[in-house]
Amino acid sequence: MGGELRYEIGQNAYIKLILHTLKHKTSAVNGVLLGRVSGGDTKPVVEITDSVPLFHSQIGLLPPLEIALVQIEEYYDQQGLNIVGYYHANERFDDFELGTVAKNIGDHIYRYIPQAAVLLLDNKKLEALPKGKDRSPVMQLYTRDVSRSWKLVGSDGSSQVTIKEPSANIVLVDYISSGKWQDIIDFDDHLDDISKYEHKLLFSLFFHHLITYFCE
Amino acid sequence: MVSKTEEAQVNRLENQVDNGGGGAWEYLCLVRTLKLRRSDKVLKHGLSILNDPKKRSSLGPDEWTLYEQVAIAAMDCQCLDVAKDCIKVLQKRFPDSKRVGKLEAMLLEAKGSWVEAEKAYTSLLEDNPLDQVIHKRRSAMAKAQGNTSGAIEWLNKYLEIFMADHDAWRELAEIYVSLQMYKQAAFCYEELILSQPTTPLYHLAYADVLYTLGGLENLQTAKKYYASTIDLTGGKNTRALLGICLCTFSIGELTKGRNKEGKESSDLQCLAAAALEKDYKQRAPTKLALLNSTLKSLKLSS
Repeated sequence: MGGELRYEIGQNAYIKLILHTLKHKTSAVNGVLLGRVSGGDTKPVVEITDSVPLFHSQIGLLPPLEIALVQIEEYYDQQGLNIVGYYHANERFDDFELGTVAKNIGDHIYRYIPQAAVLLLDNKKLEALPKGKDRSPVMQLYTRDVSRSWKLVGSDGSSQVTIKEPSANIVLVDYISSGKWQDIIDFDDHLDDISKYEHKLLFSLFFHHLITYFCE
Repeated sequence: MVSKTEEAQVNRLENQVDNGGGGAWEYLCLVRTLKLRRSDKVLKHGLSILNDPKKRSSLGPDEWTLYEQVAIAAMDCQCLDVAKDCIKVLQKRFPDSKRVGKLEAMLLEAKGSWVEAEKAYTSLLEDNPLDQVIHKRRSAMAKAQGNTSGAIEWLNKYLEIFMADHDAWRELAEIYVSLQMYKQAAFCYEELILSQPTTPLYHLAYADVLYTLGGLENLQTAKKYYASTIDLTGGKNTRALLGICLCTFSIGELTKGRNKEGKESSDLQCLAAAALEKDYKQRAPTKLALLNSTLKSLKLSS
């Protein structure tokens, strides 16, 4: 008899992926979620600790995706993290459906881990963010059920996705207003110019947060 | 479609203007010529010129072009009041103008008044049936409403008349890819390669689509087009080099046990891998180890 599976996303992973979607407002974007499953049988939780922004153009094409997954597997395996999910933001503002490309990539990710999470950006929630005090992530969670289809996890279920740090949305709004999304580098950017890659950003995001924390 | 040098030039200018170094008009002209979509910057810097009477009058007759450019950028950023004001100025200066009429119809579109916008475009087309921009707006409206099959239909109708419009072929190809209709996307890229055989972007996209379609024949053709991309880009295109490695690996997987392609194919893969390693060593040395392990896992079958 086990507890119900929870999904938890860390602030760094969450903010990075939202900023990625904001950098490319006129196209669909996607990326991979890294983390681990912990808590054993009694309190199982999928911890999403990092996200890797992948593409903002021609998302339905295989070659860049295959290369990205090989590299991500290799890199994060060394850090003891696994691919635990996938995130996607649709091209249109009022499109709340998980499209076929997203589902297919989700199926591919499912092969890594059956508890894979697919997060879809909720544009309405994102727009409402600066005005409200909502602490929940501006994403919809989809998981694959026994019928092998991706189902939206409702707001009444306990297996919703939560953000580990309660003030994450406040930090996010701050980053958005200071235009931090301009610094996001995704795999598409790297393939276009290999001298661009992500790691410098990770450090600068964290550093900025430390400064604001100490200056409060 | 912009070249790397053009993009670098625009970015440099953008940085300059953003940091108060002047050159706003030059930047706006460049964005317009290259047909880039940088609406938030255009809006910001365009308005700073238009709201300053001295700067505005120094533009002379170009002032009206700027109003038009800013109106469109404002609509893209959903600043509909700004767009309305710009259009009003243009209406005053050019009453009964078809060009301004187009902007009015676009404003209806931006507001989401699809039916009125459709009516406006139809009536504009009656007077001007060969206006390419208006034809394409219909496809854009369908796409904006989530009617992708409608968007495809309009684009196909458009391309029957204006078959030399490369941007439209590309847009159609990208819509097909987003719907996973790869065969149809391949057809679009074939048209583009036929009409512009020396543009590497089309070879590369075609190769990517063929690889995604899969199957031995498609993989072998994809490899040829990755190779032609490398040829056209002087060996500098990372995606094409990686594509060669992917193709060789996948072809190897499919032909296991049968007659292998021979030394020629593994030569090509080795050359591609060497070129990648050299480039990474020079420009992304911290990522070199990761590249090497990726290449290693792709060489398993040879």
